[in-house]
Amino acid sequence: MLYYLSLPILSILLIVLQSIITDIVFSNRLVFEVSLLVVIYAGFRLDLIKGTALALILGFIFDCVSGSVLGVFALIYIIVFWGSFYISDWLDTEKTHVIVFFSFLCSFLKEIILNFFYYLAFDINVLINVYFIILIQSLIIGLLAPLFFYWMDRTGILLYEERV
Amino acid sequence: MFFKKYKIIIFISVVFITILIVISYNVKYSKDNSFLRKIVLETASPVQEILSGSIKSVKDAWLRYVLLVGIEEENKKLTNKINELKAVLVSYQESYQEAQRLKKLLSISDNYKYRFITARVIGREQAALSRTVLINKGSSDGLRNGMPVIAYPGLIGRLVDVSWNISRVLLLIDENSNIDAIVQRNRTQGIISGSGSRGMILKYISKTQDVQKGDVIVSSGMGGVFPKGWLIGQVIHVDRQDAGLFLKINVAPFVDLSKLEELLILSSDETTF
Repeated sequence: MLYYLSLPILSILLIVLQSIITDIVFSNRLVFEVSLLVVIYAGFRLDLIKGTALALILGFIFDCVSGSVLGVFALIYIIVFWGSFYISDWLDTEKTHVIVFFSFLCSFLKEIILNFFYYLAFDINVLINVYFIILIQSLIIGLLAPLFFYWMDRTGILLYEERV
Repeated sequence: MFFKKYKIIIFISVVFITILIVISYNVKYSKDNSFLRKIVLETASPVQEILSGSIKSVKDAWLRYVLLVGIEEENKKLTNKINELKAVLVSYQESYQEAQRLKKLLSISDNYKYRFITARVIGREQAALSRTVLINKGSSDGLRNGMPVIAYPGLIGRLVDVSWNISRVLLLIDENSNIDAIVQRNRTQGIISGSGSRGMILKYISKTQDVQKGDVIVSSGMGGVFPKGWLIGQVIHVDRQDAGLFLKINVAPFVDLSKLEELLILSSDETTF
């Protein structure tokens, strides 16, 4: 229960922190989407219900803070979570190259879906202008994913040991 | 039995359909100002303010230290620049006085009742597709959707999402931003559209028109959102080779939109300018 209650607050903290990091480190030219890494990590490690709730709440809060159409990021995060969840049965998600490649793919596909949605809903097509940025952004996400996963695993172990 | 067997598929379908309904509703009816969005923004606002405030002070301290290097050289350059500008200012003052006299003569009067509301930027948009900033003022400070936003020396956008104590500013470079504008030199009228990281594009200017690199673009006052004559940007590239009927004109904003800190919201007693 504590998990579900703390999700909205932790999600707000994460999204705000992420926006500040993006602003300071990348001057808003690139988006460093830690929230996407959290969703992928959840897909690899959490069960279906807990992970879906996390993806849904994180996506919804991202929608609210970023000003996009309500539900878009929630939908994308849910798709990413379900994709990661089912892929984790087939692939060895402990291997670094799997994490790098899968995170890169998710980040890239996420942006493509987002562009496709804006094209369908508002007839805005900016893919041609931002494809290079999307590629770099996805590469950064992919390369930093193993570090993030390692850090999350370590935190999980520490918390577990403390509880025991 | 059926529900047990297909519970995962049913769960996924229900979540998926619910989100699709939410998206459809928001696309069709209201993109801004939903109650839930306001609640989340109001909750995120203090966290954002505290975090960005403390990080900004560390960043400022570091920058102040870095800036001290070579300050003497810069000081000399600035002193020379001030002297040059003083001369320019005197000529402008002359022109201003003349304009005032002529204005009186022609009995033209300003009907605008401007009131400026100062706000501080507390967050920036992070989605690659949109360019917005969050400010620390909202409807409780008298802000309303559509109000023009200014940062010296010109327009930067308009309010699109006003909550009680926090608002979102749609920047001129956002793909969704379109405003009526004129070329200051020859009064040619066009539409300034946001083009993301490429700045802005001045649209619908016929190839027969004389628009050059360096031309200043100002708001036309049409449409009733932005007042007339406010600086928007400067032409940086004019493409006459394009196959279409119109010129392809790239415009750079006057204001560095990546370094916005304090903004002015142009409030008026009248709804239109």
